[in-house]
Amino acid sequence: MKEEKRKINKQNIIYSILAIILLCVLLFPLFWILVTSLKTEQEIFQIPPTFYPHVLNTKSYAAQIATGDFNMFQSFGNSLIIALGAMVIAVTLAVPASYAMARYQFKGKKLMLLGFLVTQMLPVSVLLTPMFIMFKHMHVYNTWYSAILADATIGIPFSVLILKNYFASIPRELEEAAYVDGCNRFTAFIRVLIPIAKSGVVVCAIFSFLYAWGDLAYGMTFILDQQKRPMTAGIFNFMGQYGTKWSYLTAFAVVSIIPVALIFIFMQKYIISGMTSGAVKG
Amino acid sequence: MKKVKKFFQYDNIGLLFAFPAFLYMLVFVGYPIISNIILSFQDVTMKNLVRGEKHFIWLQNYAELVRDSVFKKAFFNTLLFTVCCLAIQFVIGFALAVFFNKDFKVAKPVRGLLMMPWMIPITITALIFKFIFATDVGILNYILKSIGIISKNVEWLTQPDTAMAALICANVWIGIPFNMILISTGLTTIPKELYESASIDGANKLQTFIKITLPMLRSTIESVLILGFIYTFKVYDLVYVMTSGGPVNSTHMLSTYSYKLSFEMFQYSKGSAVANALLVVLLIVGSFYIRTTTKGEET
Amino acid sequence: MKLKRLTACITAAVITAGIMAGCGNSQSAESTTKAENTTKTESTTKAEESNKTEAANKEADNGNQEAEKVTIWYYWETEGHQVALDKVITDYNGQQSNYEVTAKYVPFADFKKQLSIGASASELPDMVIIDSPDHASYASMGIFADLTGKFDVNQYYEGAVNSCTIDGALYGVPFGVNCLSLYYNADMLEAAGCTPPTTWDETLETAKKLTKDNVTGLAFCCLQNEEGTFNFTPWLWSTGATSYEMGSEGGIKALTFLKNMVESGAMSKECINWTQGDVMNQFISGNAAMMVNGPWQIPTMQSEAPDLNWGVTLIPKDAEYASVLGGENYAVIADGNEAGALSFLEYATAEEQVKFMMNSFGYISADQSIAENQFEADSPYLPFVEQLKYAQPRGPLADWPSVSDAISLAFNKAMTGTATPEEAAAEAQTTIDGIVK
Repeated sequence: MKEEKRKINKQNIIYSILAIILLCVLLFPLFWILVTSLKTEQEIFQIPPTFYPHVLNTKSYAAQIATGDFNMFQSFGNSLIIALGAMVIAVTLAVPASYAMARYQFKGKKLMLLGFLVTQMLPVSVLLTPMFIMFKHMHVYNTWYSAILADATIGIPFSVLILKNYFASIPRELEEAAYVDGCNRFTAFIRVLIPIAKSGVVVCAIFSFLYAWGDLAYGMTFILDQQKRPMTAGIFNFMGQYGTKWSYLTAFAVVSIIPVALIFIFMQKYIISGMTSGAVKG
Repeated sequence: MKKVKKFFQYDNIGLLFAFPAFLYMLVFVGYPIISNIILSFQDVTMKNLVRGEKHFIWLQNYAELVRDSVFKKAFFNTLLFTVCCLAIQFVIGFALAVFFNKDFKVAKPVRGLLMMPWMIPITITALIFKFIFATDVGILNYILKSIGIISKNVEWLTQPDTAMAALICANVWIGIPFNMILISTGLTTIPKELYESASIDGANKLQTFIKITLPMLRSTIESVLILGFIYTFKVYDLVYVMTSGGPVNSTHMLSTYSYKLSFEMFQYSKGSAVANALLVVLLIVGSFYIRTTTKGEET
Repeated sequence: MKLKRLTACITAAVITAGIMAGCGNSQSAESTTKAENTTKTESTTKAEESNKTEAANKEADNGNQEAEKVTIWYYWETEGHQVALDKVITDYNGQQSNYEVTAKYVPFADFKKQLSIGASASELPDMVIIDSPDHASYASMGIFADLTGKFDVNQYYEGAVNSCTIDGALYGVPFGVNCLSLYYNADMLEAAGCTPPTTWDETLETAKKLTKDNVTGLAFCCLQNEEGTFNFTPWLWSTGATSYEMGSEGGIKALTFLKNMVESGAMSKECINWTQGDVMNQFISGNAAMMVNGPWQIPTMQSEAPDLNWGVTLIPKDAEYASVLGGENYAVIADGNEAGALSFLEYATAEEQVKFMMNSFGYISADQSIAENQFEADSPYLPFVEQLKYAQPRGPLADWPSVSDAISLAFNKAMTGTATPEEAAAEAQTTIDGIVK
C-alpha cells in the first residue's frame, strides 16, 4: 500500500514537470509578447535578437493609459458589456435548441442542423455590408447592441453543436424518472438536464464570451464612436498607415490580456469545476 | 410507461425549443447570405455601387474565377491549409486532453493557463508570429541556429512553402486549446465504471482507448472536427496580417482573396463570388457531417 | 445555489417565450428590411430623399437655433495628429455658431471597407480626409461633391491638385503632401568611404560596399500592395516609363535593378514583408545603411534614435530624378452637409491653420506659397521640399487599385525570382492593358 502511494507520488511529480515544460513551450509566443513590450523599438530590431530587454523600456506601458480619444478603461467596460451580452444571448438560445437537437425527432431537424452550420460558413468580410444595412434599419447602428447581436451569431451555432453531445450523453432514464416524479418537459429540462450538462454549458459560455471579446471586425465596423468601441479597437492606435509600433502594440496585448486573465483566475474555481464535473455520476 | 415512451417520439416540442435560436440565426445571417448570393450574380463595382444600374450577369463572375489562376491557387491553399491545421491541432489537442485528464497536482491550473492564446486578439497573435518567423530579427531562426539545426537563416515568410508552413504553425497554436478543452470536457462525460470494468476484463491501455474512449467520444470528435473545419476554412485575420497572401499570391486563401477583391480593388460582386465558392465547399462538408451524425442517432 | 440556478433558468425560459411571441413580428420586420432594400437598389434617389427628410426631421427636432452637424472621417492614429486636428476643429466650432464639426477616427486598414459599406448603406459622413491615390476610385463611386469653382486651388502643387481632379472636375482639396526620398546613415557611409549615390550604378555599388555582417545596404518597402507600389514607382518613373508602361524597356530595367539589388545581398529579400514603418525600424536599429522613406518618419526617428547621424538626399536617378507624391486630400460628400463642409474647409486651409497642422504632422503644405517658407534653413524636412519638385501623383484613375496590384505583383515576382524581370513586366503589361483600354 505504501509502495503504491509512493509510486503515485512519483508519477505525480513526473507529470507535473512534464506539464510545466509543455506550458513553457506552448506559451512561448506569449512570453515573447511580454519581452518585446519591454524593449525599445531599436532593440526589438536588433540582430541577433535578445532574449530579455537589455534596456528596460516602460514608456510603451505609460502610453496605454491615454492615447488620443481612446480610453483604455472605458473600452474595457465596452468590451465586457459586449462580450457578456453576446454570451447571454448565445447561451440562452443555444441551450434549449441543443437539447431539442439531441432529444427530439421533429420535422426539419436535419435542415435546422444544416442551418446552424451554414450560417457560420461565410467569411466575416462579406457579412459586414448586409448586417450593417440591417442594423441601420433596426436603429442599433453605432451602439453596443449591434456588436452584441452580431457577436452572438458566432456563439450560437458553436454552442448548439457542442451542447448537443452533452444532452445526448445523458441517459434517458434520468429524464423518465423526473417525469414519473411529476415534472413536465420544461421543469425536467430546467431542474434535471441543465444541471447535469453544466460542464458543457460553462464551456460554451466561455467560448461565446471569448469569441465576442476577441472580435475586431464587428465592433469596428458597426460602432463608429471611439467611446463605444471595444478594447480590441486599441490595436489601431499602434498599427496605422505608416507601420506598426511594436513595443506599444505588444504592451497593449499584455495590458488587454490582464483583465480577462483576472476574470479567469477569479472565477477559476467555478469554471474548472464546471468544465470538469462529470456529466453522469454513477 | 407507454406515456413516457410516446413522449420522446415525433414531437413538436423539440421544434419549440430549437426554433428561437434558429430564427435568430436566420434573421441575422440568413439575410446576409441571400444578399451575398444575389450580389455575386451582379456586376457591382465601385462605379455602380451607389449610382447607376446593377446588371444581372448571372454566372459570369464564377466563369471568370474558374479562369483566374489566383483563385485556383487560393482554393487549393485553403484546402491544404485546413487539412494540415485540422490534423495537427486535433492530434496535439487530443493528446493534451488525455494527458491533463490524469489526476495530478498542476493539471487543472495548467490546462486553464493553456487557454491564454484565446484571450489575445488574433491580429496581435498574427503580428507576433510574423515577428518570430522574421528572417534576420526573428527569434526562431536564432534559436534554431544556436542549437545547430540550421546553419543559415531560413527565409520563412518570403518563400511560398515555408510561408505556408509558418501560417499553419500559427493557426495550430490558436487551435490547440480549442481542441484540447472541448475534448477534455468530452472525456468527463465517459462514465468511470466503463474503464473499471474494462481493466477487470484485463484490457490494456491501448485497447480501452480504442474500444471505449474513441467510440464514447465519437459525437464530440465529429463536432470538434466540423467546427474546426469551418473556422479554419474561413481563416482571415491571421493570413491577412502575416503574409497578406504573399509572397507573390502564394498564400492567398479564399477569404483573403475575397476581401482583397471586395475592399481593396472594389470588385464587390467578384469578391462575393469567391466567398460563395467557400460556402459551397463548406456546405458539402456540412451535409456530409449531418448525414453521418444523424445516421448514428436513428439506429 | 439551487434557487439561483432556478431563477436563471426561468429567466431563460421567459426570454425564450418572449422571442417566440415576437417571432411573427421579427419575421415581418425582416421582410420589411428586405423590401426597403430592394426599393433602394431600384432607385437610390428615393432612399436618399428619405434620408434627407430624416435629417431634416432631426434638425427640426433640434430646433433651428442649434448648429448643424458636420461629421468628418479621418484615419490618423498618431496622437499628435489627432490632437492637432481636434484643436483646429474646436477653434472652428468656437468662432462661429452655424456648424458643429465632429471628427471620427476610422483606422487606415479599415477605411476603404468602411467607405464601401457606408456608401452601400447610405450612411456616410459629410467630409472625409483620404489617401490621395484612392481619391479617383471613391470619386467614381459618385459619393464626392464636385467642387469646381467652389474652391481656389491655384496656389497648390499641380501634382496634388491632379490627384483630386477627374475629367477636369475638382473633387477634393489637398490636405498636405509628402514624397519619398533617400535617407542614409552618415556614419556608416563615412566609415565605408562612400558618398550618397546619385545614379543607379552608384546605388548598387555603394549598397554592396555598405553590406556586411548584419547590415544591408538599402531597404525600402516592397509589400505587394499600394504601399509597395508607392515605393516602387520612383524607380519606374526615373527610367522615363509611366505607370502604364510596365512592359517597356524602362519597366524591365527597373525590375532588373531591384532583382540585382536583392541577388547581390545589398537589399534584404524581406523588404517584401516590411511596411515603411518596419523599414524605418531597420534603419534606426542599424540593420540598413540607406532607406527610401517619407518625411512623416522624422518625428519618430528623432525621438526613438536621437543619436543616429543621418541625412536625406534625392532618390538616385536613372534617366531623370523622380519621386512619388503622397499625402491626404479633403473630399466633401455629395448629398451631405456640403455648405458646412465647405465652410470648415475654408477655415482649415487658411495659412495659420495649415502651418499649425503641417508642423505638428511633419507634413509639407500642399499650398506652394506656404510650403516654400514653411521650414528653417537647416530643417531636415527641406530635402523633401526639393524632392517634391520631381514628384508625381499615382493615377489618378478610378481603376488605380487594379493597376497598382499588377505593378506590385511584378516587382514581387522579380524580387523573389518567381519570374524573370522580362516575364514579370510582360505579364503586368497584359493586365494593365486589360484595365486601361
